[in-house]
Amino acid sequence: MDPRIHRRSEPEKGPGDLVVEWLNEASLGSNDTVKVSNLLKVQEILIHKEPQLLNLYLDEALQFSLDRNSEVRKTVAGFIEEAGAKQPEVIPRMVQTLSRLVSDDAPLVAKRALRASGRILRSTLKWVASATLVTPEMETAWTQLSSLKVQIINMIDSDNDGIRTQAVKFLEGVVLIQTYPDPDAPRKLEDFSLEDVPLTLKIARRRKLEEEANHVMDLLIKFHGSPHVSSVNLMTCMGSLALIAKTRPQFMPVVIQALQRLQHDFPPTLSDSQVTSVQKQLKLTLLGLLKHPASIEFASSMARQLSQLGAKEQEIIKAYPKPEDIRRMKKRQQESVAAASAAKRAKLEVPIAVASEEPEGVAAPVQPAKQPEVTELSESFIAERLSVEIATDLVMGSMARVPDIMTTVFQREYQPSSSADTSVQRQTIAKLLAAQIKQSKTKKMKKETKEEDAVMEDLVKNPSITVAEAKRERKREKDREKEKEAKASIEAHEKSLVKARNRLKALKLSEVTKPLSKEIREKMLLMAVNRILQAEKIAVHGGVAPVRSKILTTLAATFNPYIKEAVLRYITDDMRTRLELALGWLYEEYALLQGFQRRTTLCTKPHEAPHQAYNFLLCTLVSAIDLIQGKDRDTLLSRLYLEAPLITEDAVEALKMVSSDETRGLAPLQLLKEMVIRRPTKQLVFLNVLLCHTGHENCTIREAAIQSVVELYNRPELNKLIEEYAVLYLGFLRLQSPPEIVFGQDRGRPQPEDLWSESTTRTCLGLYLALLTEHQDLIHELARVYTSMGADVKRMVLRLVEGPVRSLGMGSPQLLALVENCPKGAETLVTRIIHILTEKSAPSAELVARVRELYQTRVSDVRFLIPVLNGLTKKEVIAALPKLIKLNPIVVKEVFNRLLGTHNNDSGVPHTSPITPAELLIALHTIDPNKAELKTVIKATSLCFAEKQAYTQEIVAVVMQHLMELTPLPTLLMRTVIQSLALYPRLSGFVMNILQRLILKQVWKQPKVWEGFVKCCERTQPQSFAVILQLPPTQLSEALKMAPGLKAPLLAHVESFAENQKAHIPQSIMDVIQGKSLMEAHDEFDIAPPGDYPLEQQADCMEIDLSEPAPPGLD
Amino acid sequence: MSGPNSIRVAVICSSNMNRSMEAHAFLSKKGFNVKSFGTGDKVKLPGNAPDRPNVYDFGMSYDEIYNDLLTKDKQYYTQNGLLHMLDRNRRIKPKPERFQLSKDKFDILITCEERVYDQVIECMESRTPEDNQPVHLINIDIQDNHEEATVGSFLICELVTVLANSDDLDNDIDELLHEFESKFARTILHTVVFY
Repeated sequence: MDPRIHRRSEPEKGPGDLVVEWLNEASLGSNDTVKVSNLLKVQEILIHKEPQLLNLYLDEALQFSLDRNSEVRKTVAGFIEEAGAKQPEVIPRMVQTLSRLVSDDAPLVAKRALRASGRILRSTLKWVASATLVTPEMETAWTQLSSLKVQIINMIDSDNDGIRTQAVKFLEGVVLIQTYPDPDAPRKLEDFSLEDVPLTLKIARRRKLEEEANHVMDLLIKFHGSPHVSSVNLMTCMGSLALIAKTRPQFMPVVIQALQRLQHDFPPTLSDSQVTSVQKQLKLTLLGLLKHPASIEFASSMARQLSQLGAKEQEIIKAYPKPEDIRRMKKRQQESVAAASAAKRAKLEVPIAVASEEPEGVAAPVQPAKQPEVTELSESFIAERLSVEIATDLVMGSMARVPDIMTTVFQREYQPSSSADTSVQRQTIAKLLAAQIKQSKTKKMKKETKEEDAVMEDLVKNPSITVAEAKRERKREKDREKEKEAKASIEAHEKSLVKARNRLKALKLSEVTKPLSKEIREKMLLMAVNRILQAEKIAVHGGVAPVRSKILTTLAATFNPYIKEAVLRYITDDMRTRLELALGWLYEEYALLQGFQRRTTLCTKPHEAPHQAYNFLLCTLVSAIDLIQGKDRDTLLSRLYLEAPLITEDAVEALKMVSSDETRGLAPLQLLKEMVIRRPTKQLVFLNVLLCHTGHENCTIREAAIQSVVELYNRPELNKLIEEYAVLYLGFLRLQSPPEIVFGQDRGRPQPEDLWSESTTRTCLGLYLALLTEHQDLIHELARVYTSMGADVKRMVLRLVEGPVRSLGMGSPQLLALVENCPKGAETLVTRIIHILTEKSAPSAELVARVRELYQTRVSDVRFLIPVLNGLTKKEVIAALPKLIKLNPIVVKEVFNRLLGTHNNDSGVPHTSPITPAELLIALHTIDPNKAELKTVIKATSLCFAEKQAYTQEIVAVVMQHLMELTPLPTLLMRTVIQSLALYPRLSGFVMNILQRLILKQVWKQPKVWEGFVKCCERTQPQSFAVILQLPPTQLSEALKMAPGLKAPLLAHVESFAENQKAHIPQSIMDVIQGKSLMEAHDEFDIAPPGDYPLEQQADCMEIDLSEPAPPGLD
Repeated sequence: MSGPNSIRVAVICSSNMNRSMEAHAFLSKKGFNVKSFGTGDKVKLPGNAPDRPNVYDFGMSYDEIYNDLLTKDKQYYTQNGLLHMLDRNRRIKPKPERFQLSKDKFDILITCEERVYDQVIECMESRTPEDNQPVHLINIDIQDNHEEATVGSFLICELVTVLANSDDLDNDIDELLHEFESKFARTILHTVVFY
């Protein structure tokens, strides 16, 4: 490693050099600020950075105490204080300077020096106490300090207010350092007291120090009670006294008395507001003292005093010791009484014994048993301990020894106490007792063996007691000594027990504990939480499960994120059993969110929205439930959603996601529906989700959602809304392309499309159609919207509308109304509806009436009639027929199907048609040629013939029979005949018959029919030859001309005749057949009669030919 | 020594929001070495109902509180001036400070309410005495609203100016306070506490 790295950049400027430089600059310069700052720098180096240099430069630094500037001198005082605290060894060299500074002219410097003195005194004593060997320097320093003490004590009368204040604080320090601490209170680390001064220390004897402290205390109290004290001094003093009383409870009674005295006797020099301030201070001080356990005996009088000062009842009660504390205190006193042997008066000395016992028994065996010092038995000592119990004991104990007659001495010296104040009386008694004990003690120590003398002396000095009494007193003293020795160990044990108990009681947590570091606290907190989490079973067994849950939820809701995380993990580990806890937590968060609880969370994150924590928790729970497999998932989810106090938007979103997942089944949808019903405040939100799903791409979800919505539709508060939604979506169908709203992840259609598809149409129509069955009025809206839809959409709508319309049925008044008021442009829809209605069953009379009405009055579109054809009368059907057959062939076919009932007879309902197949065919033939073209009619008839089921041989025969009888003959007659023949060749006989009859009807007069006749003959040869031969010659030649192919076979036919048969053929006919010129001699009327014969013959023929029974119409 | 900078002043109210901050703003404008504190357990601000105040922890910054109120009800809190106040505060210092947690030492502590005064005394007494450095604790009652806070800040500034100009404050303070009281017809509480 390069050593240069560690070398200082300016090695010549070491700390020592720097100090020299600064000190020089300071001593030479005239600028006071520079001096001060340099001194401060020097102080930093010498005391904190390089303490080993302090010795070297101390004197130079102290030189500045002579500087002219007060600020510089003040800095020096600060320097001394610091130096003394850090390195007490240098104190001896500084005390004189300090003493000079204390008496400095500038109050500023003096005050600073006074402050420094307090700490120096402390440091010195500490230093001396901890030293193993007392050096001469120590001794000197201590002596100097003692004189400094005196100097400062005198400063309490300084002219300067501030100096007095600091002097008081110094004295406070003296008292605190030089007295014993409260044995009951736990020791503070930084506290230094007489206890820390070793008994062996020669230069500072404990006793002497305590004596001095007591003296100083008296001074303080005197100062406190002085009539011309300033308000600041008074309050300072009050604070000092209170502090002393709290940390050194032996002074509590004195202090309280002093405070009580002050209240009755305020310094007259104070201004009004100062009086207020002082009173306030007094009140606060008293309240503070009242809280202290040592003041328990004075509690009631302090409370009285406080209420006089205007303290509120509540404040007093709060500070007042608890009854059990008072009781405990009394009990403790009694215990100590019992423990301190039978000697009741000895009680007075017990505390002293306690004080001296410890070093005697444990700590310092070399120390001789320390007798209670006479001087210690001051009256205040007794007054402190003179409780009601002791007084009672005293009185009871001495009762027996009270002489019968009042002694003269008593009479002379006893003065009844004039004051009513208990404390004053107590003081008086204490004084008397002290005097007595002192005297007896002195005697006892001087002449331990001469008891009698002592008794005598007692008697001399205290004429108020009798000889016997004095003797007994002595005896008891002795007994007690023995007893004490005998019971030393037991007592020591007992004491320690009592002490331990006392200590326990007075333990103040705040004093003995140090705050833990944040990390440790958090770590421990987390550990604690984890333990609570793991204690689930134990908590259940112990019956504190609810408490555990409450603790957990409170912790989770109010503490840091780690705990949240821990609890959350715990819950999500087993959602099934821990949902209860989760809900508890949710409610806790909710309460916080709503501000039901006054406390706030310990780690509020202000940038979060107020419900962030709640929302986060809820959503986490939802997703945790989502991960569970199996049946429980749905149950848990619905529990969570139904029981949570508030469903946030994110939670709604989550549910929406879940419910649109087909794999989750329909339970989430069911839950949504439940939520609509059970959560009225968020009803619309959930309804919206559900409605949204009614347009979902996935069929299962869509159907289920629609189903749910329809169920909800029955609720009056929702139906309006649902209806509006449905109508709104229906309205979308008017648009050119589907609106964006139907696309998106939540609809299952991530990519928008430009054209309407089946799916998107369903999206917009599904709910509406579902509602139709519930609310038929809506149908009109569909009709309105329908008129402005695109062609594609219309087609899809027509297809989709089938189911609902069918379910509505023909009886629906709304449907009928729609049919009646069919809007313009919606004809196809209405037609479709009527169609659907009549597809499976015959139209009702009502429907027929409406359609007829519509047809006749408003829309003369014949297509309307088609569905209800079967409901119309025969006449109407026939009237409409020309128009019907003009329609698209498919439609025409449909029409015929309906009329003939051929295709849809699987429903089982017997088909009823106003018109029989025969009638229909006849009607077709009789259509007025002006109304319909022949061609269309031909097509229609061919359709009829295609229906072989309807047009059987018999029916066709009937039709032909019927047609033939019409006059004039229908144009298409022959065509039908030919077709019939083609269809049913067996009809040929019948056809021959017809042909013959046509000849009778002079068929040639109608050219079209005639043409057909010839064609028919041509097709039916050779059977038709018989008929042909019956034609009059003119017509025959015409026919042969029209059908040249007929001539040769006919001739051959005739030639094959037997002669007798040939004879029957008229010559004119024969001529025609043989191609001779037609003879004009015959009138056609001549021919007619002979025609009768062959007809009969032909009929016979037919009889022979046909093995089948005659057609029904012929019978 | 007797410049305004050399004297260390702390202004203390309950939440370190309105009164102390108003005075803080004013005093620092006048060049004093000033800090401000609150003594309450929490920072409390009026809410939209009397029984539902907005409560925050000490340690939350003015900025965070500002944003919180902004999200809660922007219009309402703009109208009652809270947002404006917070805006001013966040320009002065980052967050409310709690007096009880402060380790700074001062020459003068000024409280704005008797309760706060009591709390300061209680706090100071509960501390372990360190170096007995005296500090003057003065209470001037100021009502907790914008107008009074403004008036109060003038008063405090007046008082601090007088006190800062004294050569021996400890000795003069009684007199100075008396003069001040009679001049402004205000009753003030005064005591000395020690660090």
